[in-house]
Amino acid sequence: MMAEAIKKQGIKEFITSIPFKKIGLKELFGFEKTPVNILIALSVIAFLAMFAIGVTTYLMHGHHAYNVTREHPWGLLIAVYIFFVVSSTGLCIVGSLGDVFGFKDYMMISKRAIFGSIVTIIAGFAVIAFEIGHPVTMMIYNVLTPGLTSAIWWMGTLYGLYLTFMIVEFVFLLKNDMKSAKIFGLIGLLVGLAAHSNLGSVFGFLNARPISNGVFYPTYFILTAFITGIFIAFIMMGFRYKLKFPENAKIMLTNLAKIQGLLISILIFFVTWKMLTDIYGSMPDRADVAIHILGSWTFWAEVILAMAIPLVIILASSGRAVNTLFFASLSGMIGVFFMRYNLVHDTQLKPLQMLKKTEYQLSPEWIHYFPSSAEIMISLGGLGLCLAMYYAGTKFFNLDADEHH
Amino acid sequence: MKIEISRRRFLQGSVALSVVGGTSLGLTSVFAESEEHGSDMVTTKTGTGPATEVATLCEMCVNKCAALARVENGVITKLNPNPMFPKSRNMLCPRGNAGIQSVYDPDRLKYPMIRIGEKGEGKFKRVSWDEAYEAILNGTDKFPGMAKILDEEKDNRSSFLFCAGEGMAEHTFKTFFSAFGSSNWLNHSSLCLQTVTSGYGVTIGAYALADLENAEYVIMAGANRAEAIVTPDTMDIFKRTKGRGAKMICIDPRFTNTAAKADKWLAINPGTDLAFVLALTYVILSEEIYDKAYVAENFNGFEEYKNSVLSNKYTPEWAEKITTIKAKDIYEIAREFMAHAPKAVYYPGRRSTFSNNDFQLRRAMAIFQALSGGIDTKGGLIFGKKLKLGEHEGLEPIYARAESRAIEKVKGEKGQSGYEDCAIVAGGGSWISWRNRYIEDKMPYKVRGMFIYKHNPMMNMPNIQKTAQMMKKMELVVAIDTMPTDTVMYADVVLPECTYLERTDPVKTFEGAEPAIAQRNKVIEPMFETKPVIDIMRGLTQKISKTLFGITKKYDEDVRDELALLESDPLSEDNNATTAVKKTLEQREAEVYAEFDMTKPFEQTQEEINEHIVKAIYGEGAVKALEEHGVFYPNMDRFFKQISANEHQYYPEKEKSYRVGNGKVKTESKKVECNLQAMAEKGIDPMPVWRDEYNFSVPDSKFRLLTGRHAQFTQSGTANNTVLLDLMSENYIWINRKVATEKGIEFGDLVEVSSSIGKTRLKAYPTEKIGPKMVFFIHGFGEESEALTWAYKNGGNDNAVIEDAIEPVYGASSMHETNVEIRKV
Amino acid sequence: MANYAMALDYKNCINCKACEVACKEENGVLKGADKHRIWVGANEVKGEWPNLDIVSATFVPSQCQHCEEAPCQDVCPTNATYYNEHGVVLVNAEMCILCSYCMNACPYDARYVDDRTATVDKCTFCSDTRLARGETTTACQNTCPTKVRTFGDLDDPNSEISELLRTREHFTLKSHLGTKPKLYYLT
Ligand SMILES: Nc1nc2c(c(=O)[nH]1)N[C@H]1C(S)=C(S)[C@@H](COP(=O)(O)OP(=O)(O)OC[C@H]3O[C@@H](n4cnc5c(=O)[nH]c(N)nc54)[C@H](O)[C@@H]3O)O[C@H]1N2
Ligand SMILES: Nc1nc2c(c(=O)[nH]1)N[C@H]1C(S)=C(S)[C@@H](COP(=O)(O)OP(=O)(O)OC[C@H]3O[C@@H](n4cnc5c(=O)[nH]c(N)nc54)[C@H](O)[C@@H]3O)O[C@H]1N2
Ligand code: SF4
Ligand code: SF4
Ligand code: SF4
Ligand code: SF4
Ligand code: SF4
Ligand SMILES: [Mo]
Repeated sequence: MMAEAIKKQGIKEFITSIPFKKIGLKELFGFEKTPVNILIALSVIAFLAMFAIGVTTYLMHGHHAYNVTREHPWGLLIAVYIFFVVSSTGLCIVGSLGDVFGFKDYMMISKRAIFGSIVTIIAGFAVIAFEIGHPVTMMIYNVLTPGLTSAIWWMGTLYGLYLTFMIVEFVFLLKNDMKSAKIFGLIGLLVGLAAHSNLGSVFGFLNARPISNGVFYPTYFILTAFITGIFIAFIMMGFRYKLKFPENAKIMLTNLAKIQGLLISILIFFVTWKMLTDIYGSMPDRADVAIHILGSWTFWAEVILAMAIPLVIILASSGRAVNTLFFASLSGMIGVFFMRYNLVHDTQLKPLQMLKKTEYQLSPEWIHYFPSSAEIMISLGGLGLCLAMYYAGTKFFNLDADEHH
Repeated sequence: MKIEISRRRFLQGSVALSVVGGTSLGLTSVFAESEEHGSDMVTTKTGTGPATEVATLCEMCVNKCAALARVENGVITKLNPNPMFPKSRNMLCPRGNAGIQSVYDPDRLKYPMIRIGEKGEGKFKRVSWDEAYEAILNGTDKFPGMAKILDEEKDNRSSFLFCAGEGMAEHTFKTFFSAFGSSNWLNHSSLCLQTVTSGYGVTIGAYALADLENAEYVIMAGANRAEAIVTPDTMDIFKRTKGRGAKMICIDPRFTNTAAKADKWLAINPGTDLAFVLALTYVILSEEIYDKAYVAENFNGFEEYKNSVLSNKYTPEWAEKITTIKAKDIYEIAREFMAHAPKAVYYPGRRSTFSNNDFQLRRAMAIFQALSGGIDTKGGLIFGKKLKLGEHEGLEPIYARAESRAIEKVKGEKGQSGYEDCAIVAGGGSWISWRNRYIEDKMPYKVRGMFIYKHNPMMNMPNIQKTAQMMKKMELVVAIDTMPTDTVMYADVVLPECTYLERTDPVKTFEGAEPAIAQRNKVIEPMFETKPVIDIMRGLTQKISKTLFGITKKYDEDVRDELALLESDPLSEDNNATTAVKKTLEQREAEVYAEFDMTKPFEQTQEEINEHIVKAIYGEGAVKALEEHGVFYPNMDRFFKQISANEHQYYPEKEKSYRVGNGKVKTESKKVECNLQAMAEKGIDPMPVWRDEYNFSVPDSKFRLLTGRHAQFTQSGTANNTVLLDLMSENYIWINRKVATEKGIEFGDLVEVSSSIGKTRLKAYPTEKIGPKMVFFIHGFGEESEALTWAYKNGGNDNAVIEDAIEPVYGASSMHETNVEIRKV
Repeated sequence: MANYAMALDYKNCINCKACEVACKEENGVLKGADKHRIWVGANEVKGEWPNLDIVSATFVPSQCQHCEEAPCQDVCPTNATYYNEHGVVLVNAEMCILCSYCMNACPYDARYVDDRTATVDKCTFCSDTRLARGETTTACQNTCPTKVRTFGDLDDPNSEISELLRTREHFTLKSHLGTKPKLYYLT
């Protein structure tokens, strides 16, 4: 289809005909100087600076700049990467509601959401590039000697494809070629979901780690992606309309909130049963880990911020308190961050080796991990990148739905 | 330490060597701090290219295991076990493997140095060998030379002390000591195995070996063979415990790795083993289950001893109160031991004297063993065979002015023949009593200089404050070492020996059921300006010999008489061959000098000497075998075979020397000596008895301090070895878990350990493996020399708190007679 | 084509750690306590002084199990981890991207990062050192004072290890995970 379109137009024209606003530097950096906006702008600049510092530290010291160890090889950056790619998948789902599945109410957010899915996954890639020791080698050997049994290989490859499809979809959206957008959107969505469940299986396949092993994560990932997408939809729309939503936005958001209510309920149901089966299964390395997780504050941060608060507000207002839900969605995203962090950390909680390897050491109990400053800086840098790209997007492109019908 | 060459430069040198075979840097770490970390963090990978293999012997501890050193491009890349040596049975322990690090340790001594700062301050100047020898002879503005001291002491050669740690070249240094003519020789034995060797020596005539390959029952008391490695015992016993041929009872106040491998572990109250053995003896005597036939034929004083044990009622019930070992266990062990006799061993052990009754303990152990008949027999204690070696001429001149050993006989008490320090003075002397009298000015004459070879008295003698006092008081201290140790810091002249992998050492014969001769061959050329001790001795004696003879000529009446005799030789005036007569005179003076010519024993190289003493007996083939394989014994080419990947045959079973004297012991009388009347004259119990003063009391709030070994370290000698420190980074103090909880001490808390003589700090290890009234930590850590990058103040130093208790018979240092307090800091 | 494996007479082990040093020195493993291909595990002894349970203090020498169904291989995205022709599980440092997935996936904690190449390293059965030179034992086996290890070819019915596995009872670690480990513990 793209080939067709290009054949029709010629590649050069195809690209030059992508509509975008020709703006000067002044306009690019021009925004309403409200205290909140200034604060956000300063934060983004600070985050980008941190990114630079974090990356430099990493380039100088390699993984020694991180607090990852033999026992806890995956740290914050993996969690943040997952955070971003899940956000991306979520936005892709939300975006697809309108342009792929044709739910008219959601058309107004499609372009914005698809653009959001692009910037979040790019941010995710930017972060993971500094976690993978040899990204260049990766590109070479992913192709030369693909590890077809590796969930990471599938996940990486599919996400690469997914990004391509998302960009193409976005271009068609910009060009208002809704038919092509729909086709690419659908493929992108399917690839994204495949990539995403593979990300779940990165953990699900770990039979060394009974707490993560199994079918739970691949499905759970899709569910939480959708939830994340809706949280971000609220946030994007909240900023877009400065919380003064037009009626059609209110309707859409209320509908989204209702879906969200359902999804969060399912999530709580899932998590509860996962915990119950983990604990009552009494399986070693599973039950004890689950109990340990119940005792960690990060787990409760996830539950309260991402599940309890949004759900209570949705239920109390039947999804109509969209302004409050904007803030609940901010809370939800913080909760989702903990959800990702917990996923990564909890997988590695239990030492694989329970014997003492040196004389003067305590018997291994739980693996401790706290991210290093470089890890934190690169992570915030990822957020900064994401926000900056999104901001630029709002300047260059019209992310609102075109009044075409 | 201020040496004029920076460590960085050495590092660069050694790094260039040690990255051979290393891989290139990864993309992402091109900026990495390879400068600071990369370098000394690398071990050398062995390659697949050309390599040579040199047969050598390990000297990371006393065992002398045979090793094959792999050399690639002049760098030692690996030390492998040499399968051909029966004593080490194709193994190298962790320290043996880490021996490479001793060669490439960036901190090692590299150049001769002389002191330029205050004594003990550690400020030295790099000098040439000749300047170093010159400083020893004539001193500097900081310290007097040997010539001045000997002149002032009127050629009393004993005004110099010589001390040495155990090692293959200790003999070379001792040759120098003999040629020098001093009587003051001290070695590690009074800090180590003096009482056990002597206890067995006077009782059964020798410090026998245990045949742990064949014993069916082993009492392992106060010996930690899983951690304090002694070959071949460590290799033999642990394959056979746990129902696999030998039942091993471990008696130790701590639950050690040996205990973990034992069939039964019994915690004993420290210092009470004598009561335990006496009770075992009581059981077998009262139940008459000892080997009557053996006793009838081989014992002296059996009846007296039997009476003593029975009439003193050394019952298991009596012993239970002292030792805390249940009477029931004692009965059981005694009976089981006899049921397995003569394939039963009460393991003699090799260790420092722990308590004041140690000599009597060893006697009681030897007698108990003999009562079972398990002596000079397979599966029991054995003497084994020793292959003879030829002789190398030493030099033992007699200096008229040299005083005898600086010890004093007891005065006053009639009928007693001992010395002030102890009853008997053995060859190795009594280190701490010598030191203590020295600092208290209780020497019969002045001792002003000291030579130290491969020994670290600052670290290895209880009460380091006193050792430091001694070192400061010595006017001229010459240390020959490989590392800038705490002792080296007190030296005036530091002579860097090359490590054991850079030299050939005196060939040595090892006795046993499977006797062999082994030789350490030089693996690589000495690095920097280091030299083997024999070369050092050659250079030094060439420098000092004539001058010292001059001093002898001046003061020594005998020499003067001899020379006067020569001078008064009638010279015939009319003989016009005056010059000829004069020449003769010179020649004749040279003859006298020849008796005192210290350079003589060092004329040949070590290789020549070894060849000489081997060839004389075993011929050229043996010399070749030793060079090639590091090991030789008659018929080795026929006997030695590999049986499996893990097993070798050294001698066929029927050629093994389990029994060499038809069961006879090796005392002069050929009898087991139960009752030593000669001891009584020296105020020592002639038979082992328990005395009330042996009950050591530990006040509430205090703890008895125990010390000992760890499998990955050798005393103080390996404390700077980075590969070993990877395995255990420092020593921790063992504290009973309940006690620790009461005191609020948790794992890893820093605690201060203090006694009447000093204190030290280290981290806490609360554990169930030790009882409530005692604490333990591994010996050899906590050095104070700043020149040791990794060992400096790493962990706690036991000798900073251990009091200098002296065992009464041989003046050995009793290591476990100290109570300490512990406090969380 | 051999099928290399190792049998461990683990009751012999005295926790001296000679094997650990031998491995480092033979294979140029980085210094540093957590940079190791081989280790000996111990439990803190159970019980209360002086009534301690000797059996609880057993030492367990271990290293990469060279699993026949190696999770580390399955998860490797670039096939940097591979089985060589002798069934030895190896890492090709050129191809390793340091995603650390294998470290997470190995149930035995057998892998670590080599800082020089910033890639994952592990026990190689001395393939590129001793075996490459035609030697028949590994450094850890060779040096052991109590001769815990026997290394050899499972496919050769006459090899010592085959003989041992025929005649002695043995078990493997975490075998319920289906990894088919090739480190056999002799009982
Ligand atoms: N790895 C290693 N091996 C070595 C050495 C080394 O430094 N490192 N050094 C070598 C040398 S020089 C020597 S002398 C030997 C020493 O070898 P060992 O004597 O075996 O070693 P130690 O650790 O001194 O003490 C042995 C055990 O005695 C226990 N013990 C303490 N007090 C008592 C007591 O009153 N009764 C009983 N029954 N047990 C007691 C200690 O807890 C300790 O476990 O080791 C040799 N081998
Ligand atoms: N508190 C306490 N004290 C003890 C003990 C204890 O258990 N506790 N153990 C005692 C026992 S059993 C012993 S045997 C003694 C041991 O006492 P030492 O004989 O002093 O033994 P090490 O501590 O090994 O020190 C050996 C010295 O030799 C040096 N050296 C190593 N190789 C060479 C070489 O090739 N040439 C030269 N010239 N020097 C070399 C080392 O650098 C080191 O300085 O310690 C005793 N002291
Ligand atoms: S026991 Fe270890 S340190 Fe001692 S000689 Fe043998 S290999 Fe070397
Ligand atoms: S070398 Fe042998 S005895 Fe020592 S720790 Fe390793 S396996 Fe155990
Ligand atoms: S033990 Fe671990 S590293 Fe070794 S093959 Fe098995 S999974 Fe891979
Ligand atoms: S870290 Fe290297 S060896 Fe391990 S899975 Fe990733 S690419 Fe493969
Ligand atoms: S087989 Fe070789 S690489 Fe593996 S642990 Fe042993 S010595 Fe190290
Ligand atoms: Mo010793």
